[in-house]
Amino acid sequence: AAMAPGKKITARIKKTLPVRGPQAPTLRELMRWYCLNTNTHGCRRIVVSRGRLRRFIWILLTLSAVGLIIWQCAELLLNYYSASVSVTVQFQKLPFPAVTICNINPYKYSSMKGYLSELDKETKKALETFYGFSEGKSKVRRAAGDWNDSESLFFTQIPLLRFEDSSRTATDLHSGRKRKVEGSVFHKDSSIVNSGDSNDIIGFQLCDANNSSECALYTFSSGVNAIQEWYKLHYMNIMAQIPLETKEELSYSAEDLLLTCYFDGLSCDKRHFTRFHHPLHGNCYTFNSGENGTVLSTSTGGSEYGLQVVLYIDEADYNPFLVTSTGAKIIVHDQDEYPFIEDIGTEIETAAATSIGMHFTRSRKLSKPYSDCTETGADIPVENLYNKSYSLQICLHSCFQKAMVESCGCAQYAQPLPVGAEYCNYKKNPNWMYCYYRLHEKFVKEQLGCQQICKDACSFKEWALTTSIAQWPSTVSEDWMLRVLSWDKGQKINKKLNKTDLANLMVFYKDLNERFISENPANTLVILLSNFGGQLGLWMSCSVVCVIEIIEVFFIDSFSIIMRRQWQRAKKWWNHRKRDGTGRPPELGDTEQQGHDNPACIDEDLPTFNTALRLPLPQEGHMPRTPPPNYSTLRLETAFTEQLPDTLEPGQH
Amino acid sequence: MNLKKYFVRALHRLQKGPGYTYKELLVWYCDNTNTHGPKRIIKEGPKKKVIWFFLTLLFASLVFWQWGILINTYLSYNVTSSLSIGFKTMKFPAVTVCNANPFKYSEVRPLLKELDKLIEAALERILQPAHGDPISPLLLNSSDAAEGLDLELWNQIPLVLIDEQDKDNPVIVEIFETNQSAAGNQSTTPPPPTNTTSEEKKYKLAVKLCSHQGSNNCTYRNFTSAAQAVTEWYILQSTSILSKVPLQERIRMGYQAEDMILACLYGAEPCNYKNFTQIYHPDHGNCYIFNWGMDKEALNSSNPGAEFGLKLILDISQQDYIPYLSSAAGARLMLHQQKSFPFLKDQGIYAMAGTETSIGVLVDELERMGYPYSDCTMNGSDVPVKNLYSEYNTSYSIQACLRSCFQNHMKEICGCGHYMFPLPEGVSYCNNGDNPGWAYCYSSLRSSIRHRQICIDSCKETCNDTQYKMTISMADWPSEASEDWIFHILSYERDMSTNVTLDRNGIIKLNIYFQEYNYRTISESAATTIVWLLSSLGGQFGFWMGGSVLCLIEFGEIIIDSLWITIINIISWCKGLKQKRARARYPDVPPTVSELVEAHTNLGFQHEEASTAAQGEPLPPEPGTPPPNYDSLRVQPPHSPGTDSDTE
Repeated sequence: AAMAPGKKITARIKKTLPVRGPQAPTLRELMRWYCLNTNTHGCRRIVVSRGRLRRFIWILLTLSAVGLIIWQCAELLLNYYSASVSVTVQFQKLPFPAVTICNINPYKYSSMKGYLSELDKETKKALETFYGFSEGKSKVRRAAGDWNDSESLFFTQIPLLRFEDSSRTATDLHSGRKRKVEGSVFHKDSSIVNSGDSNDIIGFQLCDANNSSECALYTFSSGVNAIQEWYKLHYMNIMAQIPLETKEELSYSAEDLLLTCYFDGLSCDKRHFTRFHHPLHGNCYTFNSGENGTVLSTSTGGSEYGLQVVLYIDEADYNPFLVTSTGAKIIVHDQDEYPFIEDIGTEIETAAATSIGMHFTRSRKLSKPYSDCTETGADIPVENLYNKSYSLQICLHSCFQKAMVESCGCAQYAQPLPVGAEYCNYKKNPNWMYCYYRLHEKFVKEQLGCQQICKDACSFKEWALTTSIAQWPSTVSEDWMLRVLSWDKGQKINKKLNKTDLANLMVFYKDLNERFISENPANTLVILLSNFGGQLGLWMSCSVVCVIEIIEVFFIDSFSIIMRRQWQRAKKWWNHRKRDGTGRPPELGDTEQQGHDNPACIDEDLPTFNTALRLPLPQEGHMPRTPPPNYSTLRLETAFTEQLPDTLEPGQH
Repeated sequence: MNLKKYFVRALHRLQKGPGYTYKELLVWYCDNTNTHGPKRIIKEGPKKKVIWFFLTLLFASLVFWQWGILINTYLSYNVTSSLSIGFKTMKFPAVTVCNANPFKYSEVRPLLKELDKLIEAALERILQPAHGDPISPLLLNSSDAAEGLDLELWNQIPLVLIDEQDKDNPVIVEIFETNQSAAGNQSTTPPPPTNTTSEEKKYKLAVKLCSHQGSNNCTYRNFTSAAQAVTEWYILQSTSILSKVPLQERIRMGYQAEDMILACLYGAEPCNYKNFTQIYHPDHGNCYIFNWGMDKEALNSSNPGAEFGLKLILDISQQDYIPYLSSAAGARLMLHQQKSFPFLKDQGIYAMAGTETSIGVLVDELERMGYPYSDCTMNGSDVPVKNLYSEYNTSYSIQACLRSCFQNHMKEICGCGHYMFPLPEGVSYCNNGDNPGWAYCYSSLRSSIRHRQICIDSCKETCNDTQYKMTISMADWPSEASEDWIFHILSYERDMSTNVTLDRNGIIKLNIYFQEYNYRTISESAATTIVWLLSSLGGQFGFWMGGSVLCLIEFGEIIIDSLWITIINIISWCKGLKQKRARARYPDVPPTVSELVEAHTNLGFQHEEASTAAQGEPLPPEPGTPPPNYDSLRVQPPHSPGTDSDTE
């Protein structure tokens, strides 16, 4: 007794609902059918409402709801790629960063004498002619040899000039004669200073070796800058010709620089340091460079548990023209990072204890499409010349070096060598300096495109430093401290150390809280869809099903109706022409009668189990005899008439 | 009453059999449910029906999958952070100032006299062979330099020289030869005279630590630098001596507030040393805390700039430093929160003598949510380490926890407390007399990675983390021109006399003030709340199927209904089985009238009954007049339970 009603119902449904999308005779019918049967709210109201005004209002409301949905969803889509920031703090054992320590002076002046004596001589001469300065007789390093006899190699290459303002004439330092200068003037100092009334502007002229009429003048408001810059140019030129091994020899050894070392409560020595040759700072030593695969870590914060070193800064052996300050430079960096000590180093004073407290922060950005950063640098078209992981600095330097090699034919001294190139020097590239300055100008003005190509790295580690200084050694402890340190230095130095040759450095974690700032996608696909669903549901109680319905009805069904009508019209027209008759096409009538024109169909409830049961009992079959009195009052179905009202009268509601 | 009615209905329902079948139920459900897909299934043509069926299934599974993701996201307890930055009236931080040197040398000299003599003599011995002589132990009786040395003290923790000429067997040279030092298997013979140049000689200083005096269980703590070794040795010895001194005495030996704090100005208001709270800090002796907020409300500062900050002039009297204890000279200061203990070794900074140090402060706050969002503690009550710093009435901090943890280990393993940390109950501070092996024990504990890790694992960071970001700048102070009168006035104010007692090496000026932006607060809030979860779940369900909670209830109802149907089916099946058996027992018994009637009525009511009727008992071909097919004879009661499921 189970099967029958179900079958009946489906049969009944088929009978009472003959109109299905594409079968509707007209578009109007289709729309009506759609509105009555769709799940979205609003549409049904339009059809059901009586009265024009009401209908109009419902149309307006429905349309505005659609508009709102589209607007809000567009907004959601546009904001999809936004990131939220989260900050986590973790207390844990922290890896100790690499600490690179350099003497400010790159090479021992005493051992550099052989290379630099000519240059120094000429510099001193220049100082004397320009400023009337001569070192005291007592000084050992004094310009020796007579000036006139020596061929002034350096001044002929790049002459130092003193300009008389506005007249564009300059006094050549070496020959003393005046000459007219041509070419554009570049001010290395700020233009405000230059525009003033200073008559003595000192500078130098760089000319294109191939085309001597093309010259550039570099002027400085102060002779201090001019001399130093001029000296540096020549110095780099000389150093570029010395092979790396020799340079390492000329610079400080680990024993020279490091007097004592103490890390995490234990003694350490030069084996914990890795040598790293920096072109401008000579030999630098990196503590905990991770070269042998192990990175030291700290499990206790505080000054006792960090790195404590005493540095020996041999002030007497400083180059007087190249560096004018005394001390050491240190940089705290990650093991994978290249220490750009000339850019972001911290200076350490002598005769003082510098205490550097660190606080570790790790940051992480989201890469494309959230922001324009690079994870590994592999997608940057600039070759990484440094043997370290990518950073913006590395990219910019590499980019400049590449441009340098391309346009000048040689590499700049301060940056690593690209494959197949060599450092610039006068013997091979007489033109390099002019070229370099030109290129540098362009680089600064962002004309080389390096700043556009290079992107910042997505993740970076930062050690925020709190630096403070105390007097060291204290007046009462000075005596024994210096004696013991001299003993430490070894028996080879029999002199007592001076406190201005020493610097005490403490680098430690202030706390072991690691801050991790990371960007996370604010939206995921799931949340986006949820939001869509929320919007659709809020305004129209719609879902993907509705969307499919709309596509089905408005595109497929309407299209097929239109096509069918066209076809019928064409057929009719064809028949009409062919037969010249007036016979109605029979198939049209059929469809009309099947449709919702049938008044019973429109307002009637969709057939349900109950309505199906209300149908008269089947007359056919096994009832050949007189039918029993079919008292409807007695029938069980009366109970079913208490049906849910909404299923009964869909049109009224 | 109602219950009874319900049971009666249920009974009737069970007796009557299913009101409708699974299929009817499903069709009814599909037609009447508010979820969007199912309606399509029954309303479309056969082909579309299949499509819609699969679409509905697909959407339903999508909804469940995405719900899974959403619930997972919720349970991961993510947080979002918001950053705010600006200036507001804030509590001025507590400022702790200390002298880098813990005690006045003039005061502690009687205590450390023996020690100083020893180290001077030892240094004499060590530094002597600069001319290439091999170091030989100083023979006590032959030398008058060692006269009056307290070798008892020395032998508790001796310094030794290690001669590393031969890398494989270093020779250990005692500095003072005594009759009891030959204990153990260590070679104490002087190195044989060699012809190698003195430049190649490498001596290293080491501290010899033994678990008991004179025992073989000794370690040598090597130092690459003698300076470091001497300092470490001196610290070990002096803590042993000082730990025996009572606290009041130690406070007296330290720097007094009126000697140290010469001038104080907070904003426009004058203050003096009385506004500072004294605290005894084991590293730095007497420390003074401004604005600690322990007994008074903390001061607020509502203006940025040096004019509205704290200005201090301190005197550290460098001449009175203990020479071997602290080699760096200056003031130690630290900014911290009110009611927290200043851990100067960790967070403190130096201020150099003879300079004016300006410190611009930015308060960097991090406010986090507690469990389950992140593993932090609000007040430290849930940390399994006993906080020893609670004796200062200070709040919990991770540093306090780590130190307490260390001290507790020290107490357990070494049996005494270390001088640098507060004392746990029931033990006293370590000293050489009572705990001869304490230095050995301490140094092995200190370098033990395992113990450190235990402490790191058991301590939790606080949820609210406040850091004071400082911008430090320095200038020479006083200037040469103003030097004279400033020193004069300060000296006069101190001891009412005209002779100048101050100099550049002792005087420090400090300015501490809020920067233009004085706070940066990162606060966390839950990224996923229950409201978020519900709206997302609703969004998903609505997006794919247009459903709501009511739809779920509908579905549940259908399931209950189908369960009913199943139960009823099973019961009727069982009944049928019983009847069959009964019938099998009496196969020849003719059907009763009522049976026939039922067969008829069933036939009339539901037309497929023919088969069952035929199976049960074939109708007699001509039984005479058929019984009247009164509906009233049918088995259904007037209020059949079948209606219940529909109307209710």
